[in-house]
Amino acid sequence: MDYIKLVNDKINVQQVHNLIVDDGCGACSMFVGTTRDTFEGKKVTSLEYEAYENMALKEMSKICTELRTRWPNLKHIAIYHRLGSVPVREESVVIATSAPHRAAALESVSFAIDELKSRVPIWKKEIYEEDPVGEWKENKECQWPQRSPLTLKAFDFSSCPIEDQSLTSDNKLVQIRVNDADLNRRVECFLKRKRDEINLYNINDFKKHSTDNESNCKNNEDDFTEETSCARTQSFLVKQHQSKGHLKVRRANNNSGPQMRPNYSQELNKLMASQETPNNPTDNNSLPSIRLRNIETYMGFNSDDNGNILNRIKKLENRILLLESSSPEYKYLVQLPKDEQSTSLRKEKKKIYMPDRLNCFIEKIKSEIEQ
Amino acid sequence: MMSVENSETININVLFFAKSRELAKTSRAVFAVESVVKTGQLLKQLIDRFDLSAISNCIILAHNENYLENLDEEIRLQQGDEIAVIPPISGG
Repeated sequence: MDYIKLVNDKINVQQVHNLIVDDGCGACSMFVGTTRDTFEGKKVTSLEYEAYENMALKEMSKICTELRTRWPNLKHIAIYHRLGSVPVREESVVIATSAPHRAAALESVSFAIDELKSRVPIWKKEIYEEDPVGEWKENKECQWPQRSPLTLKAFDFSSCPIEDQSLTSDNKLVQIRVNDADLNRRVECFLKRKRDEINLYNINDFKKHSTDNESNCKNNEDDFTEETSCARTQSFLVKQHQSKGHLKVRRANNNSGPQMRPNYSQELNKLMASQETPNNPTDNNSLPSIRLRNIETYMGFNSDDNGNILNRIKKLENRILLLESSSPEYKYLVQLPKDEQSTSLRKEKKKIYMPDRLNCFIEKIKSEIEQ
Repeated sequence: MMSVENSETININVLFFAKSRELAKTSRAVFAVESVVKTGQLLKQLIDRFDLSAISNCIILAHNENYLENLDEEIRLQQGDEIAVIPPISGG
């Protein structure tokens, strides 16, 4: 027989016991749930129970069916639950079963209270001494399907966070369209390059330091000052006298480390500039250019290779005009080799050697005259 | 026939318990809803209509005293059916 009841008054435990006692049963098992006076240190004055009564009775009946399926030998089952205000110490729930042997009775009661706490729609509100409004409790056995708020708002696109994610990650993404093999090769190359870079920095940072250290070790083997060095700065630290902890810097030599790395933008500019110059060096070493430079040197100009070639020629022309104006016979001398008249400026320059010989000649003549 | 049934709006009785009763400020209300509706949509409508958003993540519905555990399931409602809003239980 199943006895199921929701009661508004005090449950008479003895009466429930009397319901399930049976001549053919060697075991009566009973669970009595009573109200506690504290919860998380708060003083509980009373508990308020409410139920969805029809459904609660239905669910309690289902529990009875379930018990009888699991323990077919059960004779009687009683499930009483109290509603309304229940003072501390009084019974809120009583579950009792009877069976020929104790195992079924004990196990079925335990199973029944777990089931009741997980599915029978009854609610309990704890009223505290310092909080008369109270608080609705939740059984840990109650496992309503957990839902995120998004489940209920599946069509509310404004609450969809995926859009935001795509916006924030957009500016750092690079799209590469290659096959897997090529992509892997690129990644490996990148990793290798980074590894090489790091290795190079490590070598630069430690090379000087280790050689210094070796020499220092040899020099200071007899020295009691213990020298230590930082990898990047090569700052050698010496313990102060009569002190174990404080160190004073003897020498700091910041000739390696990130601060000494080349200024890449500057280096790059140099490289960019050198790309423009290749035309000039080849020009400078070309035959006409060398000849022009020789002429300039002879005429007393600083050969300015970078100068505009027209300007250089103009200078030379000016010099020739000056020479011609200062010594008119010069032109006459130059014109001596008539057959070469149509030659270029360069040919005329060669005649410039003449004044030396002329000087010698004049000297000779002078000496002859003196004699 | 199905399409007519889909568009039909009927009145159901909604019961509130415990925390949901306090939030809805009533234990019982009549609610107009389409006769064929997914559980999740009905739940959302009830949450919006009765200010239950504070406990929207942890309530379950019962239709004529049977739990509706699958939100994607479509239910067919009759005039006067009983839908209960059930916050986490705490019997025992």
